[in-house]
Amino acid sequence: VEEIVKCNMPALTETYSLGNLVKVGNIDQELKKLWHDGEAVMTRASLMNLAVYSEKPGSLQSNTQLMAKITQNHACRAIVIEADCNAEEDSVSAWISAHCHVTSAESRQVCSEQISFLLKGGCTTQLPSIVLSHLDSDLPLYLWWQEEFHEPMDPQLWAWVDRVIYDSKNWKDFRTQMRLVESAQQEAKQRIVLCDLNWTRLDSIRFALAQFFDHPASHHRLANISKLRIDFAPGFRSTALLFAGWLGAQLSWRTEQAKSSHELRFVGTSGRHINVELRERDGHPVHQIALTSGDVEFCVAYAKCGDLLEVSRGKADEKRTPQLMPARKDDPVSLMSEELMRGGPHRVYLHAFECVLDLL
Amino acid sequence: MNRATDQPEPNPLREGLAARPVPQPCSVVIFGATGDLTHRKLVPALYNLAADGELPPSVVIVGFARRPKSDDEFRGDLEASTRKFSRQDVRDEIWKTFAQSIFYNQGNFDDEAGYKALAKRLDEIDKSHGTRGNRLFYLAAGPEQFEPILKHLKAAGLNDACKGSWARVIIEKPFGTDLASARELNRVVRNSFREEQTYRIDHFLGKETAQNILVLRFANAIFAPLWNTHYIDHVQITAAETLGVGTRAGYYETAGALRDMVQNHLLQLLCLIAMEPPTDLSADSIRDEKVKVVRSLRRLSRSEIAVDAVRGQYTKGAIDGEPVIGYRQEQNVNPDSQTETFVALRLFIDNWRWADVPIYVRVGKRLPKSATEISIHFKKAPAVLFNKDLHDLNVLVIRIQPDEGISLRIHAKVPGTSFRIEPVKMDFHYGTSFGKPSPEAYERLLLDAMSGDATLFARSDEVEQAWAFVDAIEEAWHARKDVPELCFYPAGSWGPEQADDLLARDGRAWRRL
Repeated sequence: VEEIVKCNMPALTETYSLGNLVKVGNIDQELKKLWHDGEAVMTRASLMNLAVYSEKPGSLQSNTQLMAKITQNHACRAIVIEADCNAEEDSVSAWISAHCHVTSAESRQVCSEQISFLLKGGCTTQLPSIVLSHLDSDLPLYLWWQEEFHEPMDPQLWAWVDRVIYDSKNWKDFRTQMRLVESAQQEAKQRIVLCDLNWTRLDSIRFALAQFFDHPASHHRLANISKLRIDFAPGFRSTALLFAGWLGAQLSWRTEQAKSSHELRFVGTSGRHINVELRERDGHPVHQIALTSGDVEFCVAYAKCGDLLEVSRGKADEKRTPQLMPARKDDPVSLMSEELMRGGPHRVYLHAFECVLDLL
Repeated sequence: MNRATDQPEPNPLREGLAARPVPQPCSVVIFGATGDLTHRKLVPALYNLAADGELPPSVVIVGFARRPKSDDEFRGDLEASTRKFSRQDVRDEIWKTFAQSIFYNQGNFDDEAGYKALAKRLDEIDKSHGTRGNRLFYLAAGPEQFEPILKHLKAAGLNDACKGSWARVIIEKPFGTDLASARELNRVVRNSFREEQTYRIDHFLGKETAQNILVLRFANAIFAPLWNTHYIDHVQITAAETLGVGTRAGYYETAGALRDMVQNHLLQLLCLIAMEPPTDLSADSIRDEKVKVVRSLRRLSRSEIAVDAVRGQYTKGAIDGEPVIGYRQEQNVNPDSQTETFVALRLFIDNWRWADVPIYVRVGKRLPKSATEISIHFKKAPAVLFNKDLHDLNVLVIRIQPDEGISLRIHAKVPGTSFRIEPVKMDFHYGTSFGKPSPEAYERLLLDAMSGDATLFARSDEVEQAWAFVDAIEEAWHARKDVPELCFYPAGSWGPEQADDLLARDGRAWRRL
């Protein structure tokens, strides 16, 4: 898929710029004009409303760049919002643009539209009306919340959200954050699906480990796990803990008092202890897993090339032939693409989270 | 789709990671390993599955063919063809580990020694590669080889697996050439493999849009009340290709379009369009409903065949502006050949839902464009108000290939002060809405066979019923007297005029593709 640049349509040309500055009240007309100008050569596509909220200065530009890439595989109406909540005066500025790509299979130019907002001042009161009045009708609303959650959680907004996407990696207080997310869920009568990118970044490594135990003959290995070692990069301790929580929840382990910040202990259903070692090393967020069951070690590690995983199993003294499996990259575009690709509630995530909440 | 009954207990670590049955470690043994299908489709499909992480690491490919070849030579051949035919670029590091799981077993299909050597090798592979005694035999050889292969597999004890393991066989079409030969083939297969071990592949069913027919019909409430004789005027199914017979003349001369396309692909599509909702998504529930459709197809009498079945053969003409020769001038084709390269049929399904709804089916080579589409033509709105002069019907089109998608034609008022009404098309393209490309049909089907999901494979009774229907037409076309004429059409046209007459008699016309 290739990003297209059309010279005769200013708003469509600079896909990394915010496009045309428009009056907030005129957004619909301006969008119509935009498509009218380009109608002959473009197909507008949209499967969802994807609202992105950030309070980071300059995020409008950086998120526009992300949306240009995300829309290659996920046609949507993007609503990108930067909020400066500390500004003295209330104001709203808006821009419209489109991200156009040529699909390789059909040589068709497919475009997703983006509305960008810069909110100043009373962000919390402006946000629901800004989002709700610019939704593409009948399509679900996915909200990518790039900040920590904070009070008040406006029910007017949350009641409309179908999926909330966030990254718990840098949460300082997991309990409070989760409480806020759950309150939003209640506003939506439990309809909101929670999508934690910190969980998404574990997908390929969970997948690689799980496949060892597909055959029923290997299920007994799960009951005999005695040791788990997780190598994680600085800043990704919560990711490593979520991984441990996943195993704990799925295998009905319960946590015991942590021996230290790098040594955890679970108790399996048969009373067997499972020692977990967390090692902080440079590399991918979670770059190596070694699981010991009896005399067999199951290993998943990032290959040198970085986008493949090496998976192997064997006894300590055995020569192993690793197999390669695809790994996900850790950049926001890859994580978001992965997250948007799947549907359904993440029950397993919630169980994993619950299992290690006290340790996070 | 649901798990097969022999599917093991789920792996708790898989929860939430896969929305489909998980493929099991196994050895995939390909008979006809040096052939076109293996090189163009099967191994590229397996490579793509491995590259996408869909294949468990413990999957081994064992090629079985006559030519002497070392494992390394075989790997080299497959690497070259996979680089050429794979839908995604081949990555050296992935190929390297993938190739380590490829082996070659030289043997003649009718020589017992080759199978004994194969059995020994598979046992060794089970130990060295963790394939756990699971075997998937893929018969990619000519149909005349099926019997010796199946017989020897049984003699070598490879048709049955030990407890906790499985043995399955995938059979490529054609599943016989008529009802008698299909029954015979089923008997031969049954001598070695039980029905639940047998996977008859029809790659049309592996296509995304074919699978989407069930979703369209049974996940969208708006279509359910309209999907019957009360609201549907007629249905058209077209499978058109620009290609001629090419290098397949040897086979095609004995088959023709009716056996090659209608008996399998088109009747499968018809079943998906016409079937009742299954009780669940298990393989047998879906196939039970499909087979009822074929059984309900009105059998055509000799006199009806003369009227409702058109057979044609292309003569010289032009495709995309380039002159092309006629069928009888093609290499290895009899200059007086009576083989049809085009078929048009007017069918009826005699059941409650489809009573009196004609289903027009056409398939042909050397037509102006390549496209497989199904269109549902709804009845006219009452001829009052706006509808007195309207001739176009509401049409729902399901595009199977290429440009997979769905469109709906409705009527809309042309802007202005007068009440002018024009048809407009609401269009959904898979490629536009979903950036991710669809996997190749063989990828899906191989994965299903490894997972024990037979939903997208044909069952013996489906195949036999389809042949029973087609045989009546074949017999009429090959009778000693009163044989319906073979019509001719220039390459690059939409078939003989008689095909148009088939619909014109009913006041209808083929859709413009």
